[in-house]
Amino acid sequence: MSLIRIIPLQFAGVETMEKILPILSARFGMETILSSQRLDLTPYFNPARSQYNANDIIQSLLPMAGEAEKVLGLTDLDLFIPVLSYIFGQAYLGGAVALVSGHRLDNARYGLKQDPHQFSERLVKCIVHELGHAFGLKHCHMPGCVMVATTYVEEMDQKADRFCPECQSELTRLKAAS
Amino acid sequence: MDNKLSILIVDDELSVRDSLSNWFMEDGYDVDTAEDGKMALNKIQDNEFHIILVDIKLPGMDGLELNRRIKAISEETIVIIMTAFASVDSAVQALKDGAYDYVCKPFDPDAVTHIIRNASSHIQLNKENLSLQERIKSLVNVDAIIGESEEILNVLEQVRVVADTDSTVIISGDSGTGKELIAKAIHMNSHRRFFPMVTVHCGAIAENLLESELFGHERGAFTGAQYARKGKFEMADGATLFLDEISTISMKMQIELLRVLETRRFTRVGGNREFKSDFRVICATNRDLKSMVDSGEFREDLYYRLNVVSIRIPPLRERVSDIKLLAEHFVKIYAEQMNKETRFIGKRAMTALQNYDFPGNVRELENLIERAIVIGQGDTIRLRDLPLEHVKSAPSWESIQEMEQHHIKSILDKYDWNISKSAKALGVDRVTLYSKIKKYKLEKSS
Repeated sequence: MSLIRIIPLQFAGVETMEKILPILSARFGMETILSSQRLDLTPYFNPARSQYNANDIIQSLLPMAGEAEKVLGLTDLDLFIPVLSYIFGQAYLGGAVALVSGHRLDNARYGLKQDPHQFSERLVKCIVHELGHAFGLKHCHMPGCVMVATTYVEEMDQKADRFCPECQSELTRLKAAS
Repeated sequence: MDNKLSILIVDDELSVRDSLSNWFMEDGYDVDTAEDGKMALNKIQDNEFHIILVDIKLPGMDGLELNRRIKAISEETIVIIMTAFASVDSAVQALKDGAYDYVCKPFDPDAVTHIIRNASSHIQLNKENLSLQERIKSLVNVDAIIGESEEILNVLEQVRVVADTDSTVIISGDSGTGKELIAKAIHMNSHRRFFPMVTVHCGAIAENLLESELFGHERGAFTGAQYARKGKFEMADGATLFLDEISTISMKMQIELLRVLETRRFTRVGGNREFKSDFRVICATNRDLKSMVDSGEFREDLYYRLNVVSIRIPPLRERVSDIKLLAEHFVKIYAEQMNKETRFIGKRAMTALQNYDFPGNVRELENLIERAIVIGQGDTIRLRDLPLEHVKSAPSWESIQEMEQHHIKSILDKYDWNISKSAKALGVDRVTLYSKIKKYKLEKSS
């Protein structure tokens, strides 16, 4: 079934999320719903790093996909993968699950004035980017494309929340092939 | 957008291998993993990896030892050492052993992205460097000039002799004989080869522009000269200045050129500053400069200044034995360029080529072969693929005398009426040749 399921995992901005859903539906041409499923993230906490292990969370989200084609876990917690000091999100190419954190998207974290609108824009870009990977898209070098790899929020602000024409047609091809 | 570089990740922790391989796959790299040094070496034997990320702490052989072994197998492979325990000593040791860089786990996403990007640029630059070196080698190599006829071998011998001197050279020959190629061969075999060969096509530039082209100009020197500009004399400092079609320059420019050639000093148009430039001059002409001197069209003093060494490239019709070699050479080049399966030239097509006049010389032969490959079918060029217009007609002489007369005339023309050379080629003595010339009332063609 052509469905994207968003599962909030200790995510405070559910209202923000409801506004984002129509954008995601438009970007992927699929129904996008907010799930009420729950997952306790306490076991994934790494005290040495004070962060949560994204790879392990993704493994636990896999069985929660149900009839949905893709599942995206959304959290406010700080995520890591073993080799990297932090990540904004994580997904496996062509996998069923993606994970995004809003922890490092908030201006307040960088000592700046909070900007809910900017936070929401960054969150959309992050989600579209990780879901793009889950559909099989690789990083893109076209400036402005949502699939451009970004490691800082400033870089993220430079790109749009849309796919470039090349990524858009690749996404259509990948969806048809799956 | 796929990157074609391949990366091998060597780490004993599964989670690290998984995380990194996923990270690089998202960037479009080909990724493989190994859990220890032994497995890594096995994979390196079977596959080519451009970049290898090696954890310093591995079971059995450690990362530093693995780095040394990788470098022994493939010097150009980029090795990046990873460790959870920052240690200056081991970092220094790894770099001494040829590692490209050293990172501490966990690293910032930005750091790993930069390291891989830099490594990719390094690989790309290395590749470009190698390819440029190859191209330079092919330019340097006089042997790369195709031909085995006595005539072309003489030319190449002259190139070898004159190349590493600073003498001025005049290259003469019909259009399309490859004068610029010979000029390049001289330049690329000279001590000036690491500088460019600066070319001026004198015939293609209007006289009033040629002055500014050669001498450069200062700002405001003439209407439209908004900026000062270097001329070819300045650009050729340390290099070779190739003046193509030298016979086309005006008398006024000939005087100015003579002055510069004598002093190697000049001023830009509209300027007072004097510049000095160290360049070697090679000229090319398809006209006989000596006869132009005789008719007053070319300055005698400039002619003698330029004519230190003279190399004449014979037209293709005078070196028929090179046609086959050249044609096969062009088939190879163009078939590869156009991705066509053409490999051979049919017997009738080759005979037609060898009987053709080639008024356009090597350039015409090259164009004929290129066209034949474009329109031809299969792996062989056929006669019908060649639009030959000047095929030599079969001689219609009936008597032996008529044949002798034409043959002697053609040999005399070939050697520019040099009696000694012509007599030698005909296998007769000079007296006999003179008597034949008298008998048949032969005259030099104008």
